[in-house]
Amino acid sequence: MSEENWIEVGSTGSIEEEDLIRFDHQDKTFCVYRLTDGFYATDGMCTHEAVHLEDGLVMDDEIECPMHQGIFNIKSGEALSPPACEDLKTYPVKVDNDKIFIKIE
Amino acid sequence: MKNNIIILGGGQAGIYAAREIRQNDLKSNIKILGEENLLPYERPPLSKDFLLDRKNEENLYFHSGDVLKNENIDFEYVSINKVDFENKKLFTKNDDVYSYNTLLISTGSENKKLSVDNNLTDDIYYLRNLEEAKIIKKKVLNKNKVTIIGGGFIGLEIASSLSQLQKKVTVIEIGNQLMGRIIPKQIADLVQKTHIEHGNEIILNKQIDKIIKKNGIYEILLNDNSLIETDFVIAGIGSTPSVKLFENTNLKLDNGIVTNQYCETSIKDVYAAGDVSNFYHPLYERNIRLESYQHAQNHGICAGKNIAGVKTEYSSIPWMWSDQFNLNLQLTGICDDFDEIVERGNDINNGIIYFFLKNKKIQGACGLGIVGKVGRDIRITSKLSENNTIVDTKILADKTQKLNKLMQK
Repeated sequence: MSEENWIEVGSTGSIEEEDLIRFDHQDKTFCVYRLTDGFYATDGMCTHEAVHLEDGLVMDDEIECPMHQGIFNIKSGEALSPPACEDLKTYPVKVDNDKIFIKIE
Repeated sequence: MKNNIIILGGGQAGIYAAREIRQNDLKSNIKILGEENLLPYERPPLSKDFLLDRKNEENLYFHSGDVLKNENIDFEYVSINKVDFENKKLFTKNDDVYSYNTLLISTGSENKKLSVDNNLTDDIYYLRNLEEAKIIKKKVLNKNKVTIIGGGFIGLEIASSLSQLQKKVTVIEIGNQLMGRIIPKQIADLVQKTHIEHGNEIILNKQIDKIIKKNGIYEILLNDNSLIETDFVIAGIGSTPSVKLFENTNLKLDNGIVTNQYCETSIKDVYAAGDVSNFYHPLYERNIRLESYQHAQNHGICAGKNIAGVKTEYSSIPWMWSDQFNLNLQLTGICDDFDEIVERGNDINNGIIYFFLKNKKIQGACGLGIVGKVGRDIRITSKLSENNTIVDTKILADKTQKLNKLMQK
């Protein structure tokens, strides 16, 4: 695990609590969330159909897809409610000097 | 003797009910009787991603056979043609008998058929199940002009898909707007504009007088004497609850099977869920019947809980969607009982929502936008409606303000 795998997403102030931002890196898109107990990251697209989760609703530890209301647990990526049935990939997040980093393999 | 629970109807409501019963009841026999020779599958993609070859059959099933096996849920492909509620028995046409202690009816709904001359019955195509979707997909390939009769969700979704397959599509709708049964005119007009921009022809306010087949081409004569020539005809003119089996029984029917908020019918130990049920909604204080994905799932789950003895009221806020071209339309609640309309947004690229309020509480909302742009607000709207929240209409109307602000913490 080398240091360069951590990619800077932005400042902690850029995300409101119980909200998320979209982060694009190379040809991939991610969502970075601020929950009451910290920051989390998942893939940015719903596993059901090609739609960005950035427009979805964050409730407690869950993100709900804006298109068909599939629900995922943000921390585990688990698909909790149909039509989503495939889990969402999650990524490690760290905060350093008010900056958010995510670790992309 | 073991308790026998039979679920009549192998669609979405049935499978979700079965799995919910099993969550709460490990002992009873649970058997689903399905008429289609298929495990329960998702219908929404049939008119869209399936026609467009973006999803194939394997991607449509809710659960694999293994899931049912692991949960000890039987699934039989069988057609029931008689019900004896008094003796709690179901009969096939060969007089095979299925006895139950508790019955859930989740037979769904079926397409209304267009009235045409007998010799043309087989020339009109409908899309409800996988088999019909496969046939349309195959037959439409080498056709050019396609006419869709009925401007509701299904007709317009097919029109969108076939337009993307480079077909010349005409939609004929009897009403004065598209999707008139449930979608407000403001949104319907925007959808219509999008179809026209993509080259689809939309004809409103016209009835079909006659369809004639000449040399493999269909001539559709409308009530204003205009004539449409077409290579292929698809009808999507609404559906009716599948209740034929119960017509001469004691089961109370009125636009489907009448149920209370616990999915109970007029007959003890008989429940109904999904499209077939005209259920009492405690929030709206009236019976409603819904044909939607979310409802089939949640109503099935609710019936499952009640059957397993976990008394649960069904008070879900209705929600449905339609995807046409790159647009996602969403509807929540009911939009036909209001004293005020509030508009949020003015551009479908960022989403437009119309809210329908009564006494400053949201009764329903309908939104349209590029995929993803209305979902969050519609979802919050459902919650506001469910909680009976009195809302500040200035925030509703101001796209720069987040709707979360209206939620009471």
